[in-house]
Amino acid sequence: MGVRQEDDINAKIIPPKEQIVATNFDLQEISDDIEIKVKKYLRGEGANLEVLHDKKLKGQLAVREELYGKSAKAAAKAEKWLMPSEGGYLEAEGIEKTWRIKQEAIAREVDILSRKNQHDIVLPELGPYTMNFTSSGRYMAVAGRKGHLAIIDMKSMGLIKEFQVRETVRDVVFLHNEQFFAAAQKKYPYIYNRDGTELHCLKEHGAILKLQFLKNHFLLASVNKFGQLHYQDVTTGQMVGNYRTGHGRSDVMRVNPFNGVIGLGHSNGSLSMWKPTSSAPLIKMLCHHGPVSALAFHSNGHLMATAGMDRKIKLWDLRKFEVLQTLLGHAKTLDFSQKGLLAASTGSFVQILGDFSGSQNYSRYMNHSIAKGYQVRNVLFRPYEDVLAIGHSMGWSSILIPGSGEPNFDSWVANPFETSKQRREKEVKSLLDKLPPETIMLDPRKIGTMRPMRKKEKPSKQERDAEMEAAVADAKNSITRKKKTKGRNKPSKRSKKVQEAVERAKRPFLEEELSQKKKQKISEQSELPKSLQRFVRKAA
Amino acid sequence: MWVCPNCQEAKLGYRRYCRRRVPLKPESACALSLLLSFFTTEMAETKRKTRDYNNRQGNKKRKVSSFKTLKSKSEKNNNDGERRKRTGPRLPNALRKELEHMGRTNRSNSDDEEIDSDDANDVYEYEEAIPEEESMKNRRFDPVENFEYELPKEFKDENVASEDDDDDSDGEDDGSREYQEGDEADGSRHARMLQDITGLPVEAFEGKKRKNDVVLSEAYPESEYNPSRDVLNGDGRISIQDLVDPLHGKSGFSKLRKSMHRMEKKSTPILAPLPKADREKLERKVTYEQSKKDITKWEPLVKRNREAPTLYFDEDVDLGFSTIGAIASEFEPRTEFEKKISALVNDNEVLEAHKKDGARLLELNKISVEDVKDHQDRLAKMRTLLFRHEMKAKRIKKIKSKTYHRLLKKDGLKAAVAEMEMNPEAAKELAMKQEFKRAEERLTLKHKNSSKWAKRILKRGLDVQDEGTRAAIAEQLHQHALLTRKMKSMKDNSSSDDSSDEDYGDDISDSSDQDRASKLLEKAKEKTLGVINEDGEVPKSGVLSLPFMVRGLQKRKETADEEAKLALEEYESSLKQLEGKRVIENVKKGTASGRRIFGAAKKHVEDSSNKIKVDNYYGSSDSEDNLEAKEDIDVDRSNNFKDEINFDPDLLREESEIGHNSFFKSLEDIVKDAGPKTTYEVAIFAADSWKKANNERSKCEKVADVNMKNSSKVDKPVLHDHDIEDVEDGSDSDSEGQMVDGILSSGTKPTYELPSQADLIRRAFAGDDVEDDFEKDKEQVLNEENPEPEKPVLVPGWGQWTNIQQKNGLPSWMLQEHDNARKKREEALKKRKDAHLKHVIISEKLDKKAEKLHTKTLPYPYTSKEVFEQSIRMPIGPEFNPVTTIGALNRPEVVKKAGVIIKPIKFEDVNPHERGEDHKRSGQKKKKSTGGSIKRNTNKIKVK
Repeated sequence: MGVRQEDDINAKIIPPKEQIVATNFDLQEISDDIEIKVKKYLRGEGANLEVLHDKKLKGQLAVREELYGKSAKAAAKAEKWLMPSEGGYLEAEGIEKTWRIKQEAIAREVDILSRKNQHDIVLPELGPYTMNFTSSGRYMAVAGRKGHLAIIDMKSMGLIKEFQVRETVRDVVFLHNEQFFAAAQKKYPYIYNRDGTELHCLKEHGAILKLQFLKNHFLLASVNKFGQLHYQDVTTGQMVGNYRTGHGRSDVMRVNPFNGVIGLGHSNGSLSMWKPTSSAPLIKMLCHHGPVSALAFHSNGHLMATAGMDRKIKLWDLRKFEVLQTLLGHAKTLDFSQKGLLAASTGSFVQILGDFSGSQNYSRYMNHSIAKGYQVRNVLFRPYEDVLAIGHSMGWSSILIPGSGEPNFDSWVANPFETSKQRREKEVKSLLDKLPPETIMLDPRKIGTMRPMRKKEKPSKQERDAEMEAAVADAKNSITRKKKTKGRNKPSKRSKKVQEAVERAKRPFLEEELSQKKKQKISEQSELPKSLQRFVRKAA
Repeated sequence: MWVCPNCQEAKLGYRRYCRRRVPLKPESACALSLLLSFFTTEMAETKRKTRDYNNRQGNKKRKVSSFKTLKSKSEKNNNDGERRKRTGPRLPNALRKELEHMGRTNRSNSDDEEIDSDDANDVYEYEEAIPEEESMKNRRFDPVENFEYELPKEFKDENVASEDDDDDSDGEDDGSREYQEGDEADGSRHARMLQDITGLPVEAFEGKKRKNDVVLSEAYPESEYNPSRDVLNGDGRISIQDLVDPLHGKSGFSKLRKSMHRMEKKSTPILAPLPKADREKLERKVTYEQSKKDITKWEPLVKRNREAPTLYFDEDVDLGFSTIGAIASEFEPRTEFEKKISALVNDNEVLEAHKKDGARLLELNKISVEDVKDHQDRLAKMRTLLFRHEMKAKRIKKIKSKTYHRLLKKDGLKAAVAEMEMNPEAAKELAMKQEFKRAEERLTLKHKNSSKWAKRILKRGLDVQDEGTRAAIAEQLHQHALLTRKMKSMKDNSSSDDSSDEDYGDDISDSSDQDRASKLLEKAKEKTLGVINEDGEVPKSGVLSLPFMVRGLQKRKETADEEAKLALEEYESSLKQLEGKRVIENVKKGTASGRRIFGAAKKHVEDSSNKIKVDNYYGSSDSEDNLEAKEDIDVDRSNNFKDEINFDPDLLREESEIGHNSFFKSLEDIVKDAGPKTTYEVAIFAADSWKKANNERSKCEKVADVNMKNSSKVDKPVLHDHDIEDVEDGSDSDSEGQMVDGILSSGTKPTYELPSQADLIRRAFAGDDVEDDFEKDKEQVLNEENPEPEKPVLVPGWGQWTNIQQKNGLPSWMLQEHDNARKKREEALKKRKDAHLKHVIISEKLDKKAEKLHTKTLPYPYTSKEVFEQSIRMPIGPEFNPVTTIGALNRPEVVKKAGVIIKPIKFEDVNPHERGEDHKRSGQKKKKSTGGSIKRNTNKIKVK
């Protein structure tokens, strides 16, 4: 594409450039580079085989490990040599600061295609805008608060469909591709297709404040006015989960792209994370002293940014649930780019933070202020492009943030140049690969591992005793004394009857106890040889 | 005993194997039984030692072979007298005596002979172990003097004799036998003694002595049944020497002799064969060793196959043909047809003709005369057939028989029906025809008793007619009914239309109702108008032209006109209402469904005005959105109403004015309300660069800003949108109706709202108790997940008999239990992931649905969880791995093409060490190369 360009403000804008395969590369450097990548692709250390006693297993695992190594190496090489371009960035020279560089300055330096990405769309009537991109970044859905919905092809900058629903639209989100999108309207969310035809009205959700779509699980998640979280499977229409968050109204919701866990920010400064199969939040953490105003997840799943009304932006390590960094300032909306830049915005001011030291230490990277009085409602990085879209009260604008987007797209994952046939194929494939909702968990890498130890859930002895006593008392009371013929109502007979009833009531408890004891005995007895132990059925 | 003929001495050393294989000359079958009885009795009375000996001796002599040989041999058995008396079928006494006579001399030789004959019929063998003490094995036992053998010297004779005496019943021969026996017994005793002294078998001493004892009785000519004396002595046997002698002096003799000497010298005794079990054991051992050696060579091969992650059985399978041409070249015509074709195709002439030019082909194209004739004949035949058919058709056409045609018609109908079922096109045609008929019938009423004939009959009266006529009439009517009946089949289109109408459904039904009503009203209106406009045509003549009558009429007309006008007004109003309803409905629909509405909707004036009035009551504290909304309404109204509602424009104007007024009023209210607050500085915010549509708005903004300023004490001035939206939501309900048209007022509408007082307060004190709340929350969750143990409670009446017990309090075990439970809980709490995180609650609830995503137990070969989990850390799917390695990662254990025969394993040389190293690399190597060395090597092997 281009090489470095000098520019008059002594700063350098390095656009995404194709990698030059040079022969005089320092080989050492290359090998180091590859080693790092190999490590990345190895996904952690292999098992320590020295400890193993089983020679056969050892051999098998050794072979496996070698295969893994091979695969990782191949992947690293592919990444090294086949990925065409690396991300661009801003480079300041001397006393220049990257955040002083204005969009106009950038515009002068970049190519025409990129310049096209700098634009303002002024739509004053229909209120602050919010938007959403498809995973490939090719299409953008735009929703004006006052009922304006539109789909735009960002490549050709062509309007695909635009219509008005004539009621409040609070959020819009694409479903698995650009063919469908959901809009949270005044009373219910609706699903429209690309042509603006209403397909569904999801009445069960109620008045939705925020919508999110989980691509891999085909779940539409929403939180409504009353703080109820809904998960609906969009393939079957089945309502997968419906939970009360118990913290009242909340319109801060984001999906963690790494594991599909949904984060909700609450007005009491706490943040809860949810999965569709449990009614209690997975995580609840107190992030701010004021209401949480915005939330964003890094795509690697480790990093989370929250902003609160207490004028703080906090970066969290989600592995340890600890604050990494606290920045002063307010943000009404936050978003992480694919490359890890963080955009925060309040009022008509947008700030982009970057982590350039590699130590999760975010610092100012770029600033941008739109016309005064424009109230930013939403900022969103466009995938696979160095573009930040800003939805505000007067329409939306799009600015260039060098180094924000992933320069290399994987056409199997998200293809900005997708043909309709590819899209169809991908739709089918993704439907086949659809993950069930229970696969959403904090650490999805735990899938397939040993089941975590179950806490004993059988009632304690006291409880059992209490239960038995209650049953006995019931049995005693249940005996009604009828006036019987002479001789039938003798005290001895009565007491006998009571005795019988009590025994009947006690029997199941005693039997249970007995059976437990037996089980214990059996388990003690059967000390099988190791090779046979795997056939023993575990007591469920 | 089995002895080498060359050297009987050799056997001495092998007494240890004291098993005798003694072939007994078989006299008869009963000899055996006798023998048995002999043994039983004898054993009972003799001492162990002697019995042992006797057994040895006796066994030697008895044997059963076959009953047949007995008779032939019985005659020449004269020489083994001793035996004879103990055996089988008796010879007549006389004969026996004679035999005894003869046999007395050579009896003693019998043993030897027996021994020789051993080789031949080795049928029965008896094995008896020597007691261990005697066998002197391993010197395990102390050497003991054989005291027993000192005793026999005293009562030697009786003992031995008794052995023979017991046995027999032929007492006549006693004397002579005793003598002999004594003789023999002497010999045997001597031998026994020798044996006992030397420890060598008896035979060793017997050999020489016996040789001389042979007596020959030449009563018979020499034959094979009657051996000569030489033979019996053993002298007559042909020795090697005999064979060699004639060769004396011939070339090579000396050599032969030398070798023979050598052999004789060297000749060692052939060992007695081992017992079968031992022999077999040894054999097995050797075989095992051998096969072990043999099998170990497979070890590296098998090891390699076991360790290989994948075995390949896909030898390159040669399918043979690769192209169609190749297949075609192999084609051989089989059927008659194919042969003919191939003959034609491969005809040399044709081929040549093709090669050369077309002229030759034409030549080949000749047709024979017969062919032409044949063809002509066929044509002629066809023509005649056609002609006949034509004639037939003509004839049929000419037939005038009614029944015939009726039948024909019926047939035709049937065919048509059948066709109709099959062919939709035909069905359609038929239906059309029927429809036409129906229309015709309805038009002409041909069958509705309108014919002359029918009329006549009806005129006469049906009752008088005869049955046939009545039936005919009825038939006609029926026909009519049939013809005029609505045809369902033809209504397909219309019915589908209906259903599609219904699809539109509910939306339209209401409106259509209303439409009908409005139409009616309109009609009525027109009529009344007509009445009004009607010229009061005053009759010029007659009674009615009289002046008072005219006046009266006019009065009446006036009243009527008035009535009509009233009615008209009514109609109009109701019409308006109807339209209004429709609008409202549309609006409602819009609001309810959130659907877009195409085309401008009409609005009822009164309704909107009402709304505006209502808006006025909202009071000033409401948000600015109301104002906007009102504005919207105004604009809408002016737009819509000008275009479409052409009645009562005045009223509309008035209403809209009212609306504006109210709007201003409310604004003023706001300003007034805000008045006391405007003491704050507002200039900063007033200096915004926004366009200001009018004064009102700017005022309004100021107010908003002021309020914001208030709120900004808590937060930054800009932080307000959170609540703006909330308020907006509230205001949605108002503004909705106005958004119907989608044509909204121009100009910016900043969306500032004022947070409510409560909100402000809440926000101001937000941070105060958040932490406490959260801690409480956490405690609650912890208690839920790890419940606190119950406090120990004394059951009333227990342990409270005395004061002392009461003072002692709860029993110690209860306290201990409680303590334990508490400790356990604390430990559990400490183990929680969020134990050290004050502001985090990590739920430890188990997700039952997610349990199926985990393994219950460790999969088999694994013994540790860590190793297992590390082994599955890498995804092996195609999404996560490069194409080059994905195959290797997912390769099955055995790769085999369908249909390939797996041959048994073949041996090949594998260097185990090299393999071992190679193997480590093999994983990758295999994946990459389809023809790696390993692959080649393993492709015939299946080890599972």
